[in-house]
Amino acid sequence: MTISGLGPHGERASAPERVLLLPEDRARARAGNFRVAIVLHTLASDWAKQQLAGIIGTLGDCGVAVIEVVDCGFTPEVQIEALDRLIREAPDAIISLPVANTKVAAAHARVSAAGIKLVLLDNVPTGLLPGKDYVSLVSADNFGLGKIAAEGLSPHLPQEAEVGVMGYDADFFATNEREIAFVKWMQVNRPDLKLRILRFPSPAEADSTVRNLAGAYPEIAALFVVWDTPAMAAAEALESMDKAIPMATVDLGHDAAIGLAAGSPLVAVAAQQPLRQGEAVASTTVTALLGRLTPAWIALPGIAVTPTNVVECFQTVWRMPAPREVLLKRNLVH
Amino acid sequence: MLVGNIVFIKESNGLDVALERMKHMPSTAAVEAELRPRRKGRPRVSETAAPSLVEILNLVRTEQATTRQEIERQSELGRAVVADRLGTLSELGLVDESELGVATGGRAPRLVRFLSERGRILVATLDQTALGVGIANLGGDLLMEHHEAADLTQPVSALCERLVTLFRWILDRQPGGPDLWGISISVPGAVPDGGETLFQRATPPVLPGWERFPLVETLAGTFDAPVWMRSSVETMTMGELHAGAGISHRTMLFVKVGKRIGAGLVSDGVLYRGAQGAAGLIGSVPVSVGERSGTLEAMAGSDHIAREGRAIAERGASEILAEQLRRGGEVSAIDVANAAQMGDTAAIEILSQSGRVIGQVIATLANMLNPELIVLSGSIAQTNDILLASAREAVYGASHPLVSRDLQIVRSQMGSSSGLVGAAMVATEGIFAPPMLRDWIMTGKPQAHPLFQQLKVRIAQEQPPRGRAVSPPEL
Repeated sequence: MTISGLGPHGERASAPERVLLLPEDRARARAGNFRVAIVLHTLASDWAKQQLAGIIGTLGDCGVAVIEVVDCGFTPEVQIEALDRLIREAPDAIISLPVANTKVAAAHARVSAAGIKLVLLDNVPTGLLPGKDYVSLVSADNFGLGKIAAEGLSPHLPQEAEVGVMGYDADFFATNEREIAFVKWMQVNRPDLKLRILRFPSPAEADSTVRNLAGAYPEIAALFVVWDTPAMAAAEALESMDKAIPMATVDLGHDAAIGLAAGSPLVAVAAQQPLRQGEAVASTTVTALLGRLTPAWIALPGIAVTPTNVVECFQTVWRMPAPREVLLKRNLVH
Repeated sequence: MLVGNIVFIKESNGLDVALERMKHMPSTAAVEAELRPRRKGRPRVSETAAPSLVEILNLVRTEQATTRQEIERQSELGRAVVADRLGTLSELGLVDESELGVATGGRAPRLVRFLSERGRILVATLDQTALGVGIANLGGDLLMEHHEAADLTQPVSALCERLVTLFRWILDRQPGGPDLWGISISVPGAVPDGGETLFQRATPPVLPGWERFPLVETLAGTFDAPVWMRSSVETMTMGELHAGAGISHRTMLFVKVGKRIGAGLVSDGVLYRGAQGAAGLIGSVPVSVGERSGTLEAMAGSDHIAREGRAIAERGASEILAEQLRRGGEVSAIDVANAAQMGDTAAIEILSQSGRVIGQVIATLANMLNPELIVLSGSIAQTNDILLASAREAVYGASHPLVSRDLQIVRSQMGSSSGLVGAAMVATEGIFAPPMLRDWIMTGKPQAHPLFQQLKVRIAQEQPPRGRAVSPPEL
């Protein structure tokens, strides 16, 4: 699997194998008695839970104590307050998913200025530089995810169709890359299509955004949404408007898997690998704590999921059996 | 104070007249005549006011002066004139005096601050394999950036189309933001210029095919803003100086190692461009390694590293690279760098060798120029320490003790962002360069510069453009 995107500063991607931990690394980490805090955008989603499991499990294998896990609830102010409080707590490292860009930049810069190793997930606040303000960024190949979604949706689009694109109206590396890649793939490979872009300010407003989009462009024949939770909210809104159109999104959450197994409304999903990503984040953190050089950007490839391979992909992504509804729809149970 | 008030009223009336005159921009035929300096008679108020406005604005912008007292001291202008000019700059939205500074006895002085949020600059970096875009404020701070893989051998029209699409996307993400004041592009080659142009008025032949496509004209026409263009090594040097390892340094040597190897020199805080804007093309320096000799680029650049990497993979001397080759992958210079970082002995030797050769050339430059700081950049230098370590060893080993005593040699941590930040600085310095600034400052917008107006007329007359028309896809 190749990585098709570039990092937030144009970095070439490094594979997670670059930070592979050997038994002697684990032994050295154990002797270090390190303490790590984790600050996530939310703890509510399947993605966050799985990623957290990967981080905490791997850190446990290395004898690194997780002293706190913060749920920022997508709120910059909560994140800033949490980071400042954790700086006083002086852990050896903080793993953070910055929920905004400029707003949370200064608080993140204070972490590394205080001598605490900062490992970032999915997003880099404006102006922060790897090696100086943070150790590494670990993320999915978001550009690749956008491309996978476009490739999956394209066969379901008639010539000259109008396609809705629902982006996230926040300056966020991961969702920006997905939107740019989706649009680029369509412009290059399906110049016949008309793309109609509208962005939702928060996941809770996905419903009203899709209603506005469908109102302004009643002809839209398909929809791409930059991640699964707002995608499923949009699907529900469209259903209530009696509008069943093929959709593609990123992340194979529980509901998205069910929607995809039936082949409606979802026809394609580009899946991240949250558990593997969590493990890579933890390995990066330990590598940095051991004083070794870490790559500026570590990226994990996405997985193209279709109705036919949804069951095995669900297992790969979540390390658990697919939900019963999925198995039923795929005729694997009766 | 009374005298000050009188001067203020008189001068501001004069400025109003000048403003009024600038609003009715002269036709293109008259532009050249307008630009010609007056030689006889009493100077117009615009001619006497503009130089002091330019000087004061630049003192404030570069933070050489942060209070009225400091401006008076540095510019040697009277209190009344300074007050008047600050009033004008404030009306134009270029400076702000609302904050109070720290009192040093008596009343706290008002701080004079440049409003870097007054305008925005679109920036882009084009290199052999990637395209980066961003938007910055007038202080050169990047507000947003995006990088993607791109093939520079594709037709320039396609490249231009992608650039326009991405610029539109960025502007779309900044609704209601300040006006666009300039566009600045970093390109993978020297931009021929004897320093006589204020901004690009035509597309320079930087790469093959560029002479047939109006890239600069398309961007200037589409976004209604003047365009600047500099070589990537120049923009990266500017970026590193402004926001990277070069902050607070006055003398810096910047070396970019990639397919091409180039250097940028900052002397006394200013980028040195040379007579034709071609300073720093050190990739063409002849070097020899053992029996073989060639240019520095051919003997140590990323193509050389990739070729040597492929050779050790085929010979089976590198387990990691052989494995990559076996799985059908190509061996790139970055792969060699990554393999070296993972401890692969053969890959380490390739990078050490490149580092030594580059270091020898840098040592010659260091002995000549005596920099405080040498920054190595480019993806190979940034992904591992081996090239840096062997270059360091070569430089320290071959330098005069006085040159190497306090010399720091570091790798850049800015990635391609240095090119974007540097491009923004190129535009900012261009917009506020006194010869440019004095012809637009009265209107508060660089687009009002007569030469830009002239360019726009020419672009309009030449429609449709010479090459394939760019029709940006709907977004």
